[in-house]
Amino acid sequence: MTVNEKKFIESALLSDIRVDGRRPFDYRNLTIRFGSEDGSAEVQLGQTQVIGFVTGQLSQPYRDRPNEGSFAIYTEFSPMADPSFEPGRPGETAIELGRIVDRGLRESRAVDTESLCVIAGKLVWSIRIDLHIIDNGGNLVDAANIAALAALSTFRRPECTLGGEDGQELIVHPPDEREPLSLILHHFPVAVTFGFIGKENTVVIDPTHYEEAVMGGSMTATLNTNGDVCAIQKAGGDAVSQTVIMQCLRIASVKAGDITSKIKDAVESYNTQRSLRKIKRHNPDQQGSSDVAKRHMERLTVGSDQSGIASQFNEHDKTNKRNSTLKGFSGGPASWDPYSKGVDGDALRTSLASRVAPVDKQKEESSQVNPETKSNPKSSETNSIALTHEVGLERKQSKSLKDAVKPKHKRRNKSNAS
Amino acid sequence: MEAKPSNLVDQLVVPGDVILDLSNMANQTLKLSGGLRQDGDSICVMKAGKLRFMKPNKYWVESSQKRYVPSAGDNVLGVVVDTKPENFLVDIKGPALAFLPVLSFEGGTRRNIPKFEVGTLLYVSVVSANPGMNPELSCMDVNGKAAEYGVLKEEGYMFESSTGLARSLLSSPPHPVLEGLGKKLSFEIAVGINGRFWVNALQSSTVILVGNAIQKSESLSLVQQKIYLEKLLKSIQL
Repeated sequence: MTVNEKKFIESALLSDIRVDGRRPFDYRNLTIRFGSEDGSAEVQLGQTQVIGFVTGQLSQPYRDRPNEGSFAIYTEFSPMADPSFEPGRPGETAIELGRIVDRGLRESRAVDTESLCVIAGKLVWSIRIDLHIIDNGGNLVDAANIAALAALSTFRRPECTLGGEDGQELIVHPPDEREPLSLILHHFPVAVTFGFIGKENTVVIDPTHYEEAVMGGSMTATLNTNGDVCAIQKAGGDAVSQTVIMQCLRIASVKAGDITSKIKDAVESYNTQRSLRKIKRHNPDQQGSSDVAKRHMERLTVGSDQSGIASQFNEHDKTNKRNSTLKGFSGGPASWDPYSKGVDGDALRTSLASRVAPVDKQKEESSQVNPETKSNPKSSETNSIALTHEVGLERKQSKSLKDAVKPKHKRRNKSNAS
Repeated sequence: MEAKPSNLVDQLVVPGDVILDLSNMANQTLKLSGGLRQDGDSICVMKAGKLRFMKPNKYWVESSQKRYVPSAGDNVLGVVVDTKPENFLVDIKGPALAFLPVLSFEGGTRRNIPKFEVGTLLYVSVVSANPGMNPELSCMDVNGKAAEYGVLKEEGYMFESSTGLARSLLSSPPHPVLEGLGKKLSFEIAVGINGRFWVNALQSSTVILVGNAIQKSESLSLVQQKIYLEKLLKSIQL
């Protein structure tokens, strides 16, 4: 760090300009990309690159919280990110970064831990968030936080149900059998970092690593779009007056809104892409010769299975709103299974092609996407009570399956009519 | 006895390419520089880059990296990291810190050793750079005069670049963006072949503009650079 750089950064800030041409309260370009697996996100904030990876495991809950799952954050500062990063045990900055991200998610209860409970007192999901720093271009905290939020939003855990002979055995369904569920995030706590440079309390947002080397102090405020301040971190550094802090918090809430909408957009486009990818649901009873015939057979056999079970649960209350939305909506056979993201797309097309104009197919696919995004959060809400959820699922499936199985002429009427 | 230049001159070569077959050429001296190696009867490439040739008989491979390999005769920008009784320790973006003897200044004696604080920016010349040893620097040219070497003013800002960009900034048909900006704006610039350049101007905004424009134009071709320059000048209304 040269003397020139320090002086220049401070003097340029007096004219409200920063070395990379930004204004003091401008963020760098933020790009969020997702990996091929659910729960992995790569965030690039200017030159800074962070990868977040979320995994889940079944484990025993804490004694004093038998109904709640847990989550933990692990940070890894790769030596290729910065010459000062050493491999091995995390240093001070690594631990501080982990603490800030953890506090933002935990204290504000952003991640719903009660929905992670499978068997109270015995088995809960414990979520592990790994943050890998790939490139240090400054402001690792913000980038790591965004990576954690993006990865949590796209993470899916397998569905587990109680079954077996005595109903006490836990079955973890593989993803091709039952669609995995996403986590419930109540809100998005976004971290916004400010750097204090020079003596006149000049504040910059999203410092680059050059600015970090010359700044006298920094403050990270974690806020969400509801206007709640989830956490504030100001560890040492120059003293800052109250008016400056309040101004920073006001600016941070605006930036948090921007960042939240960017994360949500990225997650949504990822979810749409994911649903368009065909996940073939594996049915153990499935046998058959030709493709189309096989799929028709599949639906028929599954339908008969479900209808058998359905008769047992007919007396249950219809609390499932999803049910009504699906019934109300005139789509193709794909509507009977909210978790099938295009399982029967081919069958649908082949069957429809013989009857209807292709226009309806697109309508079905687009309407197919909507109930999925609606059904996912709703499904995870009800999952806290695993048993009833399972029941609800089958019941709902059975209801609409019967509808689908009954008929093709019913469908034809609707689509011909529209 | 004519030196027929290899037909790969000015083209991209990768390690393993054979650029010359010596069995046809007899009684010639060729000078091989960085990135080339003699393997029996053939000259092979060791480093990826562009093959260059200079008459009458010099060949070398030019490549662009972010890290600098010190070599004698280069003019570089260094940052003082430490002061010792005999030398200043200077960082020149190479694998090892370089030594700048305290007496290597014009008219330097034990009485008037300059005092550099940590972080001072210097424009120095590399005197010797043997592999495995710390390079040696000097603030004098061959005649013992200061020339342009020494401390750079305390204003301005130093930008990082790749070695390729630094070379193109110093090349003879001047870098289009640098030339174009120089015609419209007034600034001073010092380029070190180690991938650093320092810009100074009266206004901070000019410094930032010039530095960022040069950095961003690295990956553009000549034509694209001219277009970029025009757009830039138009946007700042010059």
